[in-house]
Amino acid sequence: METYVILRREGWRTAEELREAAARSATEEGRVPDDVRWIRSYVIAEPAGGLGTLCVYQASSPEAIRRHAFAAGLPVDEIVQVADTMVVRPDPVPAAA
Amino acid sequence: MIVAVHPAAERLLERDGPLAHLRAALADAGAGCGRVVLVTGEAGIGKTALLRQLCAQEPACMPALWGCCEALFTPRPLGPLIDVAFATGAPVANAVERGTPHEIARALLVELGQRAPGVLVLDDVHWADEATLDVVRLIGRRIEEAAALVVVVYRDDELHRSHPLRIVLGELARRPGVTRLKLEPLSPDAVAALAEPYGADPVELFRITEGNPFFVTEALAARGTSLPETVRDAVLARAAHLREPARALLDAIAVVPQPVELSLLETVAGETDEELEECLGSGILVAQPRAVAFRHELARRAIESAQPPDLNLRLHRAMLTALAASPAGEADPARLAHHAEQAGDAEAVQLYAPRAAEAAAARGAHREAAAQYARAVRFADALPSEQLARLLERRSFECYLTDQFEQAIEAQRRAVEVYRELGDVRSQGAALCSYAKRVWCAGNTAGATQACWDAIELLGRLPRGRELAQAYGVASSMCMNDEDAEGTVAWGTRAIALAEELGDAEALLYTLNNVGTMQLLRGERAGIEALDRSLRLAEEAGLEDHVGRAYIHFAWVLARNRDYALEDRLRAGLDYCSEHGLDLWWLYLQTYRARSLLDRGRWDEGADLLEMVLGNPRDAVLLRTLALAGLGLLRARRGDPGAAEPLDDARRLATAAGELSATFAVALALAETAWLSGRQETVATATEHAYRLALDKHAAWVAGELACWRRRAGLDDEAPAGAAEPFALELAGRWEDAALRWSTLGCPYDAALALAGSGDVQSLRRARDELLRLGARPAAAIVSRRLRHRGVKGLRRGPLAATRANQGLTARELEVLRLVAEGLQNGDIARRLFLSPRTVDHHVSAILRKLDAKTRGQASATAARLGLLEHR
Repeated sequence: METYVILRREGWRTAEELREAAARSATEEGRVPDDVRWIRSYVIAEPAGGLGTLCVYQASSPEAIRRHAFAAGLPVDEIVQVADTMVVRPDPVPAAA
Repeated sequence: MIVAVHPAAERLLERDGPLAHLRAALADAGAGCGRVVLVTGEAGIGKTALLRQLCAQEPACMPALWGCCEALFTPRPLGPLIDVAFATGAPVANAVERGTPHEIARALLVELGQRAPGVLVLDDVHWADEATLDVVRLIGRRIEEAAALVVVVYRDDELHRSHPLRIVLGELARRPGVTRLKLEPLSPDAVAALAEPYGADPVELFRITEGNPFFVTEALAARGTSLPETVRDAVLARAAHLREPARALLDAIAVVPQPVELSLLETVAGETDEELEECLGSGILVAQPRAVAFRHELARRAIESAQPPDLNLRLHRAMLTALAASPAGEADPARLAHHAEQAGDAEAVQLYAPRAAEAAAARGAHREAAAQYARAVRFADALPSEQLARLLERRSFECYLTDQFEQAIEAQRRAVEVYRELGDVRSQGAALCSYAKRVWCAGNTAGATQACWDAIELLGRLPRGRELAQAYGVASSMCMNDEDAEGTVAWGTRAIALAEELGDAEALLYTLNNVGTMQLLRGERAGIEALDRSLRLAEEAGLEDHVGRAYIHFAWVLARNRDYALEDRLRAGLDYCSEHGLDLWWLYLQTYRARSLLDRGRWDEGADLLEMVLGNPRDAVLLRTLALAGLGLLRARRGDPGAAEPLDDARRLATAAGELSATFAVALALAETAWLSGRQETVATATEHAYRLALDKHAAWVAGELACWRRRAGLDDEAPAGAAEPFALELAGRWEDAALRWSTLGCPYDAALALAGSGDVQSLRRARDELLRLGARPAAAIVSRRLRHRGVKGLRRGPLAATRANQGLTARELEVLRLVAEGLQNGDIARRLFLSPRTVDHHVSAILRKLDAKTRGQASATAARLGLLEHR
């Protein structure tokens, strides 16, 4: 398993859509624990309106990430492999759940 | 086969989750959605006990069909299915007796469907023979159509790197309707609960057993003053409580790795009713219809391993004699060969092992056949050389069919040696030809060619015969692989003439294949006739590997020439190889199919196939090289990480083997990835060698594509004469025409790349859109740069365009929408897409919302209007 950062730009129009997507993502990820593990996501307010996310996943391959995305109905714009993690401070507390 | 449940195992701890999983699968099966559940875990973890529990609790699935695989080094072909057939009778029994794996699988599913839901349990599948594995795989492919639950139980700790079950699991795991259930050891709490009634120390018990249920029950039943340190100790301790005669009987039974027929036992041990009762009472043995067996294979092994060698030898001899005289033995040379080997009886091994090998090969259990031949060779000291050589050749062939290439080469090499020592030049020459073929498969092109010339030289000294026709055929094959058309035809003509003269069908069809393939590679479609004829002749003669080879060559041409009209042959090939257990051939076909999917813009499908192929470790170098090059290229095209490693591996493999099509594949992949990552300057060196070769061999498609990459990288080569049409058009600056040609062929990525060479803004925009649609980020970025150089501003980000174009519907929602538009109800949609009905309801609501529709009908109409129903 490697760690990857996934960019999903302009994937959703509303927070509600994003929440539904998150639920689907969790369900699909649960089916294939050896393939993908969702670590965390950062939500992006897109300049053109709408929402995107930057997600951190562990996965067995980039193809596993794409398979999961297809099953859950999520866009995949870019996948970047993470070589190492440097945590300087903990994540800011989210404003809302 | 019904195995009695040991009292201590009635109560299953910590298995509620797995039971729920199985019950859910059973419910699905009952509703008409067939399921396969792969149950796995270490030995003694209680897989069988779990299934017994399920059957006991769910009367709906009684009586389940059970088939158990045997712990024989060389199991009976279709062993577990013979057991099942016994319970079902005809037509399953007929299929198992005479049919192909295809027919057996079909008959089984029909039988199961009649019981709605039917339950089939195949136990200990890690010991399954190849023919059984084929049936399992075929059942997995068709399970969705049946109202059946098929449970495949196996030990994952028994699966070494190249275990044949892995390829089956790899394929099954990807199929919808197949789930995996892994059983975990018991927790310390559970162990403590089990220990309590016995007053045993729970901490110590857990330390020794690590939560393995079998070990726990054995250790507790041993009733010693201290806990046994190993399973073996525990079993022996329990057995030690038996009186001498019963203990001796236990020993006799322990040498048989499957249930022992009572009639057989009587022959070996005489009247033993009392002793048998005692063994059954102790729980070490369990009763079956007319047979007895150990409760667990681990127990049997423990008892057998504790036997002094001379006792073990004597017992095997006794069993061998008894079995040979019994009807059970007659039907089963594999069993006899096993005991013969253990008894050290070389004569008996020579009698039974080759017979067992032939029987296995006839059922498509080629691994078992190879192992039986190996056994015969091991005991061949007193055998005349000529017979030994024939055994070695048979072994080599079976190893080759099961892609154990190193072993195949070694066996064949020895055979050649034996013939040489015998002075049998004819056989030596023929054996050298086979040797050449084996060695080529392992990636040693130089060695193969040398062996081929040696064979021709040897056989040329003798009066002309079949062996020489074969040798000419092999020579033509070497030329074909080197894409040397003149050589292929020259040797091919000689081979065909001699073969026809001598009436040698095999040499004829082998050479027709080479000649036809070479014609196709040169773009002469007439080659199809020759290749088709070769295929037909091979099928008629039942020469499976030749049939497989013909299909592989069709696939090669399909991928190379972008000739997708050949697709029906590819599919037929996949079916054939699947049915006949030609695993490696099947993988080759899948690899070529994956490459063609890549070329046709179906990247997800291609990726899945490549991952599956690479997940099966195989010795076949070419296969690996092609798959690695494909995976690396795909990742590079998408801009995904991990493109470099597979390409590096592919390059290394291709350089070492020196095999032409691998060299081409790698050079093309390297050229493209260099261009995509902006390293134009490396394209020249990366493609120089391959380009010269391609021009030399008049390989129109390869030369054309390499020339285009070199041009795109800024090199000023002259356009090669005879480049394949779409490339030639691009090289001539006719980008639109090239793109059109590519589109007609069905290759959207190449079409976009062709357009990208144009200076026209409209064309560039179209190219960019198409590349974004395909997900080809790096190429799209290159085209974006070109557009910006031409002053174009405000280029929209791809995904936005795509999502908006689909009205914000996700890929999954589009799938559901298409089925809604076909008029399917949610239940049917759920079945079709392997989702739960609730998920489908969810999707349908989302679809109605996003399309602003109130009913399914409205949604369908809107979708049709917006063009959402067309497939990409």
